[in-house]
Parts: sequence; C-alpha cells; structure tokens
Amino acid sequence: MRVRRVLTRWLVTLGVLHGIVGFAGFFAPYDPVEQDRKSPYLPPMRFHLIDGQGHFHARPFVYALKLREGSFDRYVENTTEPQPVRFFMKGARYRLLGFLPCRRHLFGLENTRIYLLGTDAYGRDQLSRLLFGGQVSLLAGLLGAGITLSIGLCIGAVAGSFGGWRDSLLMRLAELFMALPWLYVLFAIRAFLPLAVSPLRAFFLIITVIGIVGWARPARLVRGVVLSAKERDFVRAARGFGATHGYLFRRHILPETSSVLLTQAAILIPQYVLAEMTLSFLGLGVPEPVPSWGNLLSSLQQYSVLVSYWWIYLPALAMVPFFLGYLGLASSLQERGAAYKIESRIWGI
Amino acid sequence: MKVEATATGKNVHPLLKVENLVKRYTKRSLAGTPEELLALDSVSFTISPGTTLAVVGESGSGKSTLANCLACLESPTSGNIWFEGKDIVKLEERACRQVRRQIQLIFQDPASSLNPRWSAFEVLVEPLILQRKFNREEIKKRVNYWLGRVGLSQDIVGRSPMELSGGQRQRLAIARALTLEPKLLILDEALSALDCSVQAQIANLLMELQGSLGMTYLFITHDLAMAAHFADEIAVMDRGRIVEQGPPNKIFIQPEQETTRRLLAAVPRIGRGDQSALER
Repeated sequence: MRVRRVLTRWLVTLGVLHGIVGFAGFFAPYDPVEQDRKSPYLPPMRFHLIDGQGHFHARPFVYALKLREGSFDRYVENTTEPQPVRFFMKGARYRLLGFLPCRRHLFGLENTRIYLLGTDAYGRDQLSRLLFGGQVSLLAGLLGAGITLSIGLCIGAVAGSFGGWRDSLLMRLAELFMALPWLYVLFAIRAFLPLAVSPLRAFFLIITVIGIVGWARPARLVRGVVLSAKERDFVRAARGFGATHGYLFRRHILPETSSVLLTQAAILIPQYVLAEMTLSFLGLGVPEPVPSWGNLLSSLQQYSVLVSYWWIYLPALAMVPFFLGYLGLASSLQERGAAYKIESRIWGI
Repeated sequence: MKVEATATGKNVHPLLKVENLVKRYTKRSLAGTPEELLALDSVSFTISPGTTLAVVGESGSGKSTLANCLACLESPTSGNIWFEGKDIVKLEERACRQVRRQIQLIFQDPASSLNPRWSAFEVLVEPLILQRKFNREEIKKRVNYWLGRVGLSQDIVGRSPMELSGGQRQRLAIARALTLEPKLLILDEALSALDCSVQAQIANLLMELQGSLGMTYLFITHDLAMAAHFADEIAVMDRGRIVEQGPPNKIFIQPEQETTRRLLAAVPRIGRGDQSALER
C-alpha cells in the first residue's frame, strides 16, 4: 500500500512537470524564436512588491532593464516606472499542444517585455526557450525509449522463447552493442548525412539513432523474465490444458515482462533526454533556432559566456526535477516489482 | 494390448503403462566433460483405471521428473509411455496437446500454479476457453458445478488466488484440472504444502471423486502414511529407480528394501512409547 502511494506521488509530480512543458505556449510569455536585439544577455528580472518610495503593491511588479551607459551587456533597473505583471493576457500567437490556435499567456507585461530567466545572445527569452525546448527534448526521450523498449522486447522475447542458437546469437550481439563507444558511433552516422538537415528530419534522426542504440539491456532483462516465466507452474499448467506457444506467450509470459519494461522506461527516458542534450550541445542535434535543452546550453561552449552570464546555466538546473522524478518513479516501480518473486530474481542479475 | 493382472486383482486394460522410462539430464560446463544426471533409470509400472498408485521416495529420487514426463511436459530420453494403448512419447506437438488434456497434473504449491495476476474465475475457465468448445453459458454452468464439487463457494470467483487460503487454492487448482474431465490425475506432492486438517479434507474429496467419477490417480508423495491411506498400490523410488512395489499392507508389514524402511521410520507416530518400530 505504501509503495503504491509513493508511486502515485511520483506519477503526479511527473505529470505536473510534463503538463507545464506540454502547455509551454501558455506558460511561456513569448515565442521561443522571437529576438529582441536591444537586450542581449539580459539578466533575470526580479519580482518586487515594494517600490522605491516604500509603497506596497498588491500586484507584483518588475522594473524594466536598460543598458548601462558605455556598456554592452550591463543593465540597470529603471526604478522610476514599476511594470505590474498582468495575468492571462493576450500575446504572441501559438498553437496549444501543436494544433489549438491560441493567444492567452499565463503572464506578461503591458508596455515592455518580461524576462524571468534572462535572455541569450539574441535577446530571446530563456524561459520561453526552456519550456519549448523541453517539448523537443522530452519527446525525444519518450519516443527514443519507446523505440528501444519495443526492439528490446522483441529481441528478448525471441531469445528467451526459442533458445538455442538464436538465443546465443542475439545475446552475443547484445554484448557487442553494449561494448560500442556510442557517442563516436553517432558522430560517424552523422557524418554520412548532409550538413544541413531540416529540424524535423534532424529530430527524427536523433530519436531513431538513440532509440536503436540501447536495445541490448532491455532485451537481456526481457529474456531473463521470459526464461523464468516459461518454467513457472501456472505456465506449465496451461501447457497441460493444451495451450499453444502463442497463447502462453500472449497471456502468461508477456504480462510478466510489464514491470521490467516499466522500470526500464523510467530509467531510459532521462538517459535519452540527456543523450539528446549531449548531441544538441555538440551541434549534432536539432538545429537552431529550434530550442532544445541541449541547444540552450550549447552557448556555454564559449568561455566568455561560461564565466559572465550565470543565467545561461539555469536550463540545466531546471532538468533536475525531471530527472529526480524519473529516478524516483524507477525506484518505486522496482520496489513494486520486487513483490513478485521472479522479478526480484531478475534484479539479482 | 496385453491384459495385465494388477494389484487389485481385476483383469483390465491398464490406463497407463510405463516401460523402461529413462530421463537423463546433461549439465554442460565450460571446462571438463559434461556431467550426467540420471533422473529416471528404467522405470516401469502400470495403473488400472479407477485405482490409485502412490509413488513415494525421498526428495531428489526422480518423482517429479516422472510426473512431468507422464504429463507430456518433458520428453523422456528413452522408454515408452502407453496411455489408453497409445504411445505418447513420440507424439508430435499437436497430438501431444490433445493427450495433455487427458492427463492433468496438480502441482505442489498452488500459489505458483495459479497466475497471481488473474482472478479465480479467469484461472478456472482457462482450460475451458482453450478447448474452444463451449459458449459463455456452458462455461458458467461448468464452473459452478466444479466449484460446488470441490466445496468452494461461488463468491470466491471474483478474488485473486493470492487472497485465498492454501486449502482454497489447492481446491481451485483441482477444480480447474477437473473441468477438463481428465482420465488420469497426477498429484505431485499436492497435499504436502497444506496443513494437516486441510490435507485430510482434500484427501477425502479426492477419494470421494474417485468413487463417483471413477478417476485414476498417480499420487506422488514423500509421506508414506498418506500414501497408505490413499493408494491401492505403492511404488517406492530411490535414485531414479522403483526399488519396491506392492499393496500398502505388504510395504508396511514386510518392507524389503532399506529405502522403504527409512521412509517408514520417518512416519510420525502418536501415543506409542516404544521405539521398536523405528529401529526395525
């Protein structure tokens, strides 16, 4: 019962986080590719409640930032004019969930622009880019994990059910795949493709590649489950009732793999998000100006950015709750799975 | 087919006749010669319809391997198994499936022989659904009939097997096997995981079913007392061979083999002070 409650808590946490990213258009104040060339590397603005004269405002406000005289990246607050934050205001057009045309944003300013996480070199809003970038990165993680698990399930099931030379061949292949240095293989694959690819093609390319790479571990786990499930008494009993191999696999063996697959999914998704970030960071992922978490961080490759603009690191910090959520989910799924005897044996591997 | 005289003295065709059954397991290791384990060493016996043969032996004597071979779940290395006059050893998969329905195996641990993810109802109807002969109404009728027959109330069908007691689970497993109306029921230590009173209840249930349905049992156990209570004939196994075979009286009063004496000595006795029985 307790395990179940913990599991629900992690699921709700992740649901909320993904919801925010999924409805990025609403939570982000601006379009992620919209540039504001007058304010590059603008630091995050702060909410205020008390103005320069010591008056209290019930509605939080910010001060607009303007460039300091004789500087190109130092800003000062214009404390004469408090800019009250407006909620549910109309702004840039976007498509909610990719198809619903919409103009409402959670918050915004009337006269000037609000940058809660600062801006990048082109004056693009970091918060908007973080939220929209999350859509790309998380989708890559989810789809990549989906591909990996499907391949892993098929291969593991074949190896476990048939045994013999097929099993040996597939398992040696799995060992080979686990031994390859994947980052460099990805470079090699990228080298075969044209220099400029459209964002959509680049996205699907990344998903396919990182999805295909990781099948070995889930395949080995599924094989283990299938092997031990085949010998369980209720499977043997069903064979005794005249069940065919197809029936046994579908009704008895496949459901046994579900908890291993779920746990693997919770482990793989953050791994693949990180893989997408690594590739994009190195410029092999989704091309600019499309935001992704790796793209956001890629300007950190310049030393001047690394030491001068601390808010460029914030996207990396924002990923922590996601990864924490998935790890918590994985461990509580594992705990639940251990309740069944055979899975606990698998985890002993 | 040859007509054989069995221990019960009736001249009938045996339901099951096993001849020189051998099962050998080979364990391959990376280095060295493969290790061989002889689980069954030319085992032969017959069972007449409507009777009970008990196979007793210590653990590791090959009883469960025998049960698996007879239930068509493992193929023996050599030897023949004649079931109703047909040799079932060399059957191909499709024909094997037909035979498996006639010979049902009840496992030692009912907790593992019932899928914990399913409800008792799903567990119970599985064999009927696999037969594809019955519609929903008939399935329901049969399920209710067999539930009543093994003494389970109908409101347990919605529960998971994990929520049932050990005795209820084993009754459920027996009811499930009986829905196929098998000719031979193999009970592989089917009672040893249960406590004494439940053991007695289920033993009585099985005897009652034998009386009314003419069931044939192969009763595998390490418990000689239970075997004597139950069986028309007892076969004693040791290291893959049948070392002694005969009616319970003979086995109890004049055991010929050391193994039998050891098993007899292990039978607990209540209210007798003398140790002579054990030292015999």
